Amino acid sequence: MKYVVLVGAALAALAAALLVGPANLPLAELPGSAIVWQLRLPRAVLAFLVGGALGVAGTSLQALVRNPLADPFLLGLSGGAGLGAVAAIALHLPGPWALPLAAFVGAVGAMALVYRLGLVGGAELDPRILLLGGVAVGALAGAITTAIVSLAEATELRNAFLWLWGGFSGASWTTVLVMLAYAPLPLGVLVAAARPLDLLALGEEPAQYLGADVPRLKRIVYLAASLLTAAAVAVAGVIGFVGLVVPHVCRLLWGRLHRTLLPTAFLTGGILLAAADTLARTVVAPRELPVGIVTALVGVPVFAFLLRRWTVS
Amino acid sequence: MRRWTVRTHLAGLVALATVACARGEHATAVGPAVTDDAGRRVALAAPARRIVSLLPSFTEILFAIGAGDRLVGRTAWCDYPPAALAVPSVGDGMPPNVEAVAARRPDLVVLYRSGPNATAAQQLERLGIPTVLFDLNRLDELAPAARRLGVLTGRGAAGDSLARAMDSLASQRPEPLAPGPKSIVFVVWDNPPIVIGAGSYLDRLAGLAGARNVFHDIATASAQVSIETIAARNPDFIAVLSDTATPPRYAGRPEWRVVPAVRNRRFLFLPGRLFGRPGPRAAEAVRELRRVLEATP
Repeated sequence: MKYVVLVGAALAALAAALLVGPANLPLAELPGSAIVWQLRLPRAVLAFLVGGALGVAGTSLQALVRNPLADPFLLGLSGGAGLGAVAAIALHLPGPWALPLAAFVGAVGAMALVYRLGLVGGAELDPRILLLGGVAVGALAGAITTAIVSLAEATELRNAFLWLWGGFSGASWTTVLVMLAYAPLPLGVLVAAARPLDLLALGEEPAQYLGADVPRLKRIVYLAASLLTAAAVAVAGVIGFVGLVVPHVCRLLWGRLHRTLLPTAFLTGGILLAAADTLARTVVAPRELPVGIVTALVGVPVFAFLLRRWTVS
Repeated sequence: MRRWTVRTHLAGLVALATVACARGEHATAVGPAVTDDAGRRVALAAPARRIVSLLPSFTEILFAIGAGDRLVGRTAWCDYPPAALAVPSVGDGMPPNVEAVAARRPDLVVLYRSGPNATAAQQLERLGIPTVLFDLNRLDELAPAARRLGVLTGRGAAGDSLARAMDSLASQRPEPLAPGPKSIVFVVWDNPPIVIGAGSYLDRLAGLAGARNVFHDIATASAQVSIETIAARNPDFIAVLSDTATPPRYAGRPEWRVVPAVRNRRFLFLPGRLFGRPGPRAAEAVRELRRVLEATP
């Protein structure tokens, strides 16, 4: 039943994204229009895929660090991606893929550093060390980014930040294909880890007694969720609140079992981000809002509501 | 904001009084005085002789009113007229390096009005160095800046004459273009797409050259829009601030090729040194834009 509702909502969100836009196309012209095929459709599909990826990554990381405030970008990834993007512009790296690739490399670099910190002294990805390491690495990347911005020519670097908080302006079939080719592997790995993730919620020792290979599980989940987030950053920049709020919404509505939680988080994240992007494109037309602003405007009140519910119950 | 202005004003007065006392002079209010765009009264004991200009536009204006020889400091971006290059640079000016500016021992520092520059002005005033903060984002802000720089340098007649030329340009009605009406979009960044709106110098230049900025309905200087909106507005030309005729990097990307002018490579390359900043050469920029528009079929 829930899947019927979610798939229906997903189709509705995608249809809305195709039908409305600043160009005001008449309905009869829609099927043959390059605006629909080359701009609206790839953009809607990419927003859906990125939203789904962030929803799944957020769900998995919250289970991994057993912290409801965990967000895919919390573990230093946004700082690393920002550093990569700013470095690509400051070094004048050529080519259309320089910026996304550099952001991806920066995010993966930050992830690797946090991962290494998480293994220091046999800590085996202790959640507290991961969170602290993520904050520390994020601060380091932020400091280096600021140093580059203050030393290099400033005009173009402002645009690096715009890109970093940008959204789906650069969506094309190429970026959709990149995401379609890349995302299934980490997504599959996380879905396959659904049952052990349920056990992990009981605590690391009980999970171990119940037969989960906890150290291996933590490594796989951490790497898969981070690589998924790094790809999302590369094609869409840092988009907050989807990965934080979607897992909570799904848990409240459909329970805590990851076998259900992961697919519903994918669909809910996709619906939310596709709808948010449609709003971002249309509400202030002819101008456009960065999609991260729309997700935050929707996400913060939802989050405040959830916090209130928790503290009451 | 108001309190801040008052404080800066007081700091300026105190600094000036200190300088006057230290010199033991009785020079009060005989020199030139103007009100700058931060609302501060700036009074000099005598026309400025050692000026640091912290914006290429101010450097151009000072040379145009015959005060170029008073410049003792400029930014790294001040490259016009060629004589400006002989003036020592004090860095990129964003934000100003207060020590480097003070080391030129100026008797006037001209700054563009912005948050960091207002802070720098305050610091310079504390060192006893007079400063002025001027707005310079649009064509109609050139005349008041030229007029007041004329007063402060004792070149009032030249400043007025440049100001009149700028005012008459700003109020001109453009002749229709020979090949018929043309529309244009200024794309300053591609991802996310940022375009130039009505509150800008470039929008006015396009209008004076007889072209229509398709984003004239956006009141601010620039705005983020979607590629779809650019495609729907369907401009005849994409204007690119560039010193070379290399198509921008997004020209080959499939999502941008939905815009007909991108697909058909209808780019206008406008040299950044002439079009990138408001200045006394605005009329030259208008003529150049008009020439390019008429020359491109």
